[in-house]
Amino acid sequence: MSDAGSIRGRLNTIFQEVFDDDSIQISDETTAQDIDDWDSVAHITLVLSVEEEFGVQLNAAEVGKLENVGAMVKLLIDRGC
Amino acid sequence: MIQQDLRQALRDVKSLAADGDHGAAFRRLTEIARPDHEFALQSRYAKLFDNSIDAGSIDLKPLRLAILPTSTVDHLADVLRFWLAAQGFRADIHIGQFDTVTQTVLDGNSELYRFKPDVVWFFGSGRDPVLDVAPGAAEADIAAAVDRAVGDARALWSALADRHPCDIIHNNADIADFDLFGNFAGGAPWTRRNLLRRYNLALAAAAPPGVAILDLDHLSAFYGKGRWFDRRYWYHSKHAVAFDAVGRLAYQAARLVAALKGLAKKCLILDLDNTLWGGVVADDGLDGIRLGDGPDGEAFVDFQKFVRGLKDRGLILAVSSKNEDDIAREPFQRHPDMQLGLEDIAVFRANWYNKADNIRDIVKTLNIGMDSVVYVDDNPVERALVREQLPEVAVPDMPQDPAQFIPTLCRELYFETTAFSVEDTERGRYYRDNVARDEHRQSFTDLNQFLKNLEMRAIVGAFDDFHLPRIAQLINKSNQFHLTGTRYGEDAIRAIMKDPKKICRYFKLRDRFGDNGLVSVVILDCANKGGVDIDTWVMSCRVLSRGMEEFICNELVRTARDAGGKTLRGRYVRSKKNNMVADLYGRLGFSKCGEGDGVMEWELAIDSPPFAHPCHIEIEQVAA
Repeated sequence: MSDAGSIRGRLNTIFQEVFDDDSIQISDETTAQDIDDWDSVAHITLVLSVEEEFGVQLNAAEVGKLENVGAMVKLLIDRGC
Repeated sequence: MIQQDLRQALRDVKSLAADGDHGAAFRRLTEIARPDHEFALQSRYAKLFDNSIDAGSIDLKPLRLAILPTSTVDHLADVLRFWLAAQGFRADIHIGQFDTVTQTVLDGNSELYRFKPDVVWFFGSGRDPVLDVAPGAAEADIAAAVDRAVGDARALWSALADRHPCDIIHNNADIADFDLFGNFAGGAPWTRRNLLRRYNLALAAAAPPGVAILDLDHLSAFYGKGRWFDRRYWYHSKHAVAFDAVGRLAYQAARLVAALKGLAKKCLILDLDNTLWGGVVADDGLDGIRLGDGPDGEAFVDFQKFVRGLKDRGLILAVSSKNEDDIAREPFQRHPDMQLGLEDIAVFRANWYNKADNIRDIVKTLNIGMDSVVYVDDNPVERALVREQLPEVAVPDMPQDPAQFIPTLCRELYFETTAFSVEDTERGRYYRDNVARDEHRQSFTDLNQFLKNLEMRAIVGAFDDFHLPRIAQLINKSNQFHLTGTRYGEDAIRAIMKDPKKICRYFKLRDRFGDNGLVSVVILDCANKGGVDIDTWVMSCRVLSRGMEEFICNELVRTARDAGGKTLRGRYVRSKKNNMVADLYGRLGFSKCGEGDGVMEWELAIDSPPFAHPCHIEIEQVAA
């Protein structure tokens, strides 16, 4: 089980790759409003990348409820990543 | 996460584009992108193409595609735009309003018609067909339900064709991974699984020329039905297909569009050693090459059978091998397990020249475009050379194991088609006969003697139903010898045939070496006063420079005069590929009477008998 810090680090890399922007630095408060291209398709792409990277599977309801990065981190910790 | 080398390659693409070298950036991107890459990567490719690369500086044909969906397809459209560009199209994609397909097609004022699409894609899925059949239902009910469901599709196609004729792509039903009845679903005719199987077959049978069925069911099976149906995203936001399958779906659609527009590959050029048989024939001898017995040998036999099947289907085969000519031919002539004969190969080049030069020679001999060639070689060094020297040639990455040759080749979808005519099966023979003619020509120093010696005979006929598929094929697939660039689907051609003001003629040519089949098509328009206009003139490049142009011109003059015309008018509309006919009318004695904007107008006075061009072609039969 990794700590929140390393989870955040790996999430940050995913964000940088999905948005093709090496300068992105996410924090727990980061939401879709903070990143220009974070639309519904990007959201699903993020979820798919997170699932692949952390070996988890989210259900339909969870996909919708991840409003900010902090929620993602919490979900991943709860899943024992 | 994306692996290192891919990440670096994407950075290279970005910096090439930033430096202004958009052509190189795009080429690099198409080298690294694969249809089976996951959605995160597909999205990157799409964004790089849309945002960083200037599509205007690459040579792309414009294409207007409308997608009418019963599910969410916006993300598919972005990825599709990239894969269409990889096929040479700059696509403007319009997505119809969600789940309003019928209304959109029936409403003549809808955005669909204002968009004026070249292609409409009916993007349905296996959830759509309504097949209300009770468990245990009788055959009559099943047939009626399938008929009704197919009738819905037919009605859409007619309604669209009435309002805006264009190419149509229509998904069949991707059959679900599970069924209420479990395995029994396959054993009873009234289960949804079997109803949809029947529906898919009936849909294919009902599709008229101009409607290409996209076999979504096959694609879902190929991808793996377990992964294809990601129900989370159906429930979440109505995505009918798993995101990670989008690359493959977009690639298939792009190859289908390319086929619709005549851009599928036509010719397979093959290496010999370790490609058609195991081992090196010069070293191992006829008895030592692996062909027939053993696991390797059987795989090579199957690969040869497959290649022969491609030729029977209408593709052209050629050989380019580093070998002595007689040693390379021996297996074809004497090995009992060879599935290919020398008569299947249109051009056979076994020599010590480099592969790229051989390919150039083959392409020139066959008179086809470099971009219609696929080159198959087991040797990665040779492949790299060809890729570098001839970037238009498709060079698949053949694996070491011959058992994987067929899937590797098929997966690329080089040879997609949307129509089949029996003439296609003869194509290989036509090309081979042509090469024989060329070799024969080299033994003559006097061109006239050579032409006379060919004993050419032509048949001239009025368009009829029997020849319609081949006529449509010539009009829609010709690029080089096409004076005006007109494109008419079969329905449009039928309408032209019925028009009393139009005269339509096809021309067939044969000679001592064989029958070239139907090689030219002309549509004359007598609607304008005093003159007869040549609306369409296309000819197969197989029969250039043999006097066919002069023969046809003489026929057109005679036909126009019989119709009461005093002038015969020809028009040349410049395109990227038809430069060869820019001065055709001039050479045939017409005078230029207008020019501007890539269009040249020509006319020939025919009220007094004009000079008839001499040619060595005799009329065998005039059917009009």
